[in-house]
Amino acid sequence: MTFEPEGTHSNASMRNLHLLHGTLPHEVVCTENLTPFLKLLPCKGKAGISSLLDGHKLFDANWQTMAVDVKPVCPEDGTECILQIEQTVDMVLDIERSKRPRDNPMPRPIPTEDLVCDNSKPYHGGDSCFPLDRTSEMSWSLNKVFGRPLKGSCPLTTEDGRDSETVCINVPHEREVQERTAADLVKKEHEDGYLRCYKISPNLDFDLILPEQYLSSNLPLSHPSLHAFRSITGHGQERGGVRAILTNPSLTSPVRFVYLESLPWFMKPYLHTLRATISSSTAPLPDQYLEPQQAPNTADPIKQMYYRPAVDRHRGTHLELLLELPPASTLTLTYDFEKSLLRYTEYPPDANRGFDVAPAVIRLLSSSSSSSSSNGSSLLGASEYLRTTSLLLPLPTPDFSMPYNVIILTSTVMALAFGSIFNILVRRFVAADEAPGYGGKGAKDE
Amino acid sequence: MATTYVSENAILPGQVHTYFGGSEHNIFRAYRHEVAGLAESSEEERVGKLGDIFRSSGLKVAAQKYEYTAAGRNTTGKNVYAILQGPRADATEAVVLIAAWRNMDGVLNQSGVALVLTLARYFKRWSVWSKDIIFLIPSDSTAGPQAWVDAYHSGHDPETIESLPLKSGALQAAVAVDYPAGPWGHRFDKLHIIYDGINGQLPNLDLFNTAVSIASGQMGIGCTIQRMWNHRDTYSERLQTMLRGMLSAGLGHATGPHSSFIPYHVDAITLQTVGDGWHDEMSLGRTVESLFRSLNNLLEHLHQSFFLYLLMHANRFVSIGTYLPSAMLVAVSFTIASIALWVQSGQPTEKATVGVWHSDEADAKEQDVTVVEQDGMTALISTAELKVVERHMLLPIAFVSAAHFLGLLPLYVFTRASATPGNASQTLTTTFYAFATSTALLPALSAVALSRLFAPTSQQWALTACFSLLLLGLFLSALATLNFSLAILVGVLGSPLCLVPALITSTPSRTSVPSTSVAAGADTSSSHRTTSTGIGGSVANVTLYVLLLAASPPALLLAACHYWNANVGAVLAAAGTAWHVQGAWTGVVVCLVWWPAWFVAAVGVAAGGLGL
Repeated sequence: MTFEPEGTHSNASMRNLHLLHGTLPHEVVCTENLTPFLKLLPCKGKAGISSLLDGHKLFDANWQTMAVDVKPVCPEDGTECILQIEQTVDMVLDIERSKRPRDNPMPRPIPTEDLVCDNSKPYHGGDSCFPLDRTSEMSWSLNKVFGRPLKGSCPLTTEDGRDSETVCINVPHEREVQERTAADLVKKEHEDGYLRCYKISPNLDFDLILPEQYLSSNLPLSHPSLHAFRSITGHGQERGGVRAILTNPSLTSPVRFVYLESLPWFMKPYLHTLRATISSSTAPLPDQYLEPQQAPNTADPIKQMYYRPAVDRHRGTHLELLLELPPASTLTLTYDFEKSLLRYTEYPPDANRGFDVAPAVIRLLSSSSSSSSSNGSSLLGASEYLRTTSLLLPLPTPDFSMPYNVIILTSTVMALAFGSIFNILVRRFVAADEAPGYGGKGAKDE
Repeated sequence: MATTYVSENAILPGQVHTYFGGSEHNIFRAYRHEVAGLAESSEEERVGKLGDIFRSSGLKVAAQKYEYTAAGRNTTGKNVYAILQGPRADATEAVVLIAAWRNMDGVLNQSGVALVLTLARYFKRWSVWSKDIIFLIPSDSTAGPQAWVDAYHSGHDPETIESLPLKSGALQAAVAVDYPAGPWGHRFDKLHIIYDGINGQLPNLDLFNTAVSIASGQMGIGCTIQRMWNHRDTYSERLQTMLRGMLSAGLGHATGPHSSFIPYHVDAITLQTVGDGWHDEMSLGRTVESLFRSLNNLLEHLHQSFFLYLLMHANRFVSIGTYLPSAMLVAVSFTIASIALWVQSGQPTEKATVGVWHSDEADAKEQDVTVVEQDGMTALISTAELKVVERHMLLPIAFVSAAHFLGLLPLYVFTRASATPGNASQTLTTTFYAFATSTALLPALSAVALSRLFAPTSQQWALTACFSLLLLGLFLSALATLNFSLAILVGVLGSPLCLVPALITSTPSRTSVPSTSVAAGADTSSSHRTTSTGIGGSVANVTLYVLLLAASPPALLLAACHYWNANVGAVLAAAGTAWHVQGAWTGVVVCLVWWPAWFVAAVGVAAGGLGL
């Protein structure tokens, strides 16, 4: 249910397609993750917006994600089908941290005279400073945040239109944006002026500078249609539980979605403990105190379920739930699981770290009447996916030094035993006077 | 005894430069004034204000209300905490920094809270964090952290404790800061590192060592443990430190905000500032910074070093391999005594056992000797000695089990008494004295009742003592692996029980009990009669009974309270709170292991003393 083929497929080819789903729940972040990603691009990160992607900056972001989507696209006129690759990089940057020069990345305390203090405090003085919140928008530029300006555009199309506008910025109306480039550029405003797009010329540096400014209005941010949060409950070596909290912040429309949980085989869920309870929440804002009021809904939120149990050491559990969440309510999904004991060779070198459990994948199904269909009309069948954070599952871990100690001890004993027994077996014992050369007597006569 | 060492290579204590200082000091002072300003304000206002400060640092903030009813008091409060999502983290691991609003002594932890607020703001600017950092400010030092950590693992009662709206990944370690200096600061001399958890569980020694090594090695702050303010590393001081540590672990109570974390396998310590010296809040801040940088290096959960150890000095410890045999020896002594009793009870009654009364004495004398041939030799052995003696075990087993189930009664009574609202200390004192009195009288009454009802033979008395000691040995050896200190405390305090069966002197006037024919119903008057006749029988046994009374759990508790100048009611109230809130099972061990063993021994002595 979660994954459906995207793009155009003929009926004949559909029959031969398989759905393969694999996850690598833990990947150590490394700048080398970026290089193969950039190599797929037509300009290889040398031009266009990808020229801003620097491994140090990207992986220093508070949050980042990279995605590659491949789908076949067959034009209407029956010409040959092509594969369309879509690469996405999302990052959430802390501007203050990103602006720090690369040769001096230490967040040293700022000089005392640069502190912005609240002078109204009674204790305010030379040695006390209650820091004031920043009221103005911080100044930043592409050059300062990414360490380099945009190295010209990567022209993929010669036509004018939306596709030729390669850089867009989404800011409030009143925000002042200065462009700095040697050549002239085309600027267009879309979507009530919030989105400003630029068509820039190739081969010339381009920089956007946003000075410090006091703003009276905020950017209207689109509200996510679902908040998802998943955590492990319980403690101990034997069993535990998983609790997923899914909140529909919308006050009017219900959400239908598919919740996919693919668990490793050593985490064995008890399906009979699966509970889905709905409580209506009054303040569905994640940053505020969440105090859901208990008002259990009688309707079962689970509309459909697909479950394929795990086979030890071969495949993991696959659990898909089709859920429907009424407006302004919170769904709490819980189930218990048992931790199985691994063979000692199956533990990774960092066994005590725990085992990563892949994130749950949530596919939001657009209800027929909802407005979201108009948004993504160009991408037919593309659905919105959410992923929860991955989990760290501590499994019962033996003391690995113990077999090592045992091996050392038995080896020592065996070596001692072997040495002495071998010594006794191969040594020939003779009386001292029979030994040739001893005392000179017997040997001389020969 | 060995010097401590950091076992986990990833920690690298004190290898980083710390930058906390400079203008952060100004911010710290301002926050300290803010905290001082909140001293008198209401819970809601305080949580709101602390949350605002966290939020202005760019952190996600949440709060949690909790309520505990224990020992006649309603403990309510509201924890406020903020999560710094590590830029290099995937939200699977987290480290906790705690500053309880009030420390264990109930003093406002002004500088500690201000330091956590400042550090939160400072840590936010770093991009090195590969684990989330949770800044937790609970209302108090025991119930608040307990409610929070219970809710974090969803082990809480949702009726009284709110669920956490915001969570991070698996907790790896927790560090609490206790620095109750007022708005004008206080320069401290040493760091007192508190490490005992609930039920004598300890954090991984690596965490403790890292803290000591950073504080003393990198920052030059001396470290001390177990309230030994001046430790000159002499033998007697090391011994005293170790004994204090064992007592604290044996009592199993919470010693700081960190204690609640340890049962969840989250290694935790509290850094408490003590004395007058020249270290200021910035040194403490830099210590915490360096400690968090070290914890941030961890690739795996702390597992390399010891979880079971005794500390004698900040730099010296005894590992489990060295000390566990002592507890095992104490436990084994009970088992050996019980085996001796078992062997004794199987031997023919005429010769082997002392003071055994046998009704068929006349018949035995008339019996023949048996000729035994072995290895070409012949021996004449009295047939009586070769006779296999049947052990009558039903009554001893039933009685020992009943005694152990009887232990549930005081446990239940104390639990109820500590849970009832009102003046718990008063109620508990009354309950305690009632319990102490019944403990003194019950063995004698039981002995009389037993002999009236079942007329146990001496073999059955021996078997009763045998089973009781066997169970005690079993319990203590099992307990020694869980809470060594408690096991050895109970073992040493209960060691008289081991000698009691051998000391019971038989009364010479032991003939057939006159009242065996008396029906079970009419016992009140007849028991008095037996008592009066029995007392004259053995002064030695009465002395033994009195001595045993002095070694009874309530008597020893009274003595301990007298020695440390504590109020029994208050002590019991604290124990009740620990049991209800934190799940400390010291009381369970006392009621279900120690008291039944003592009771069975006392019944034996009473039976001997009464000449039954």
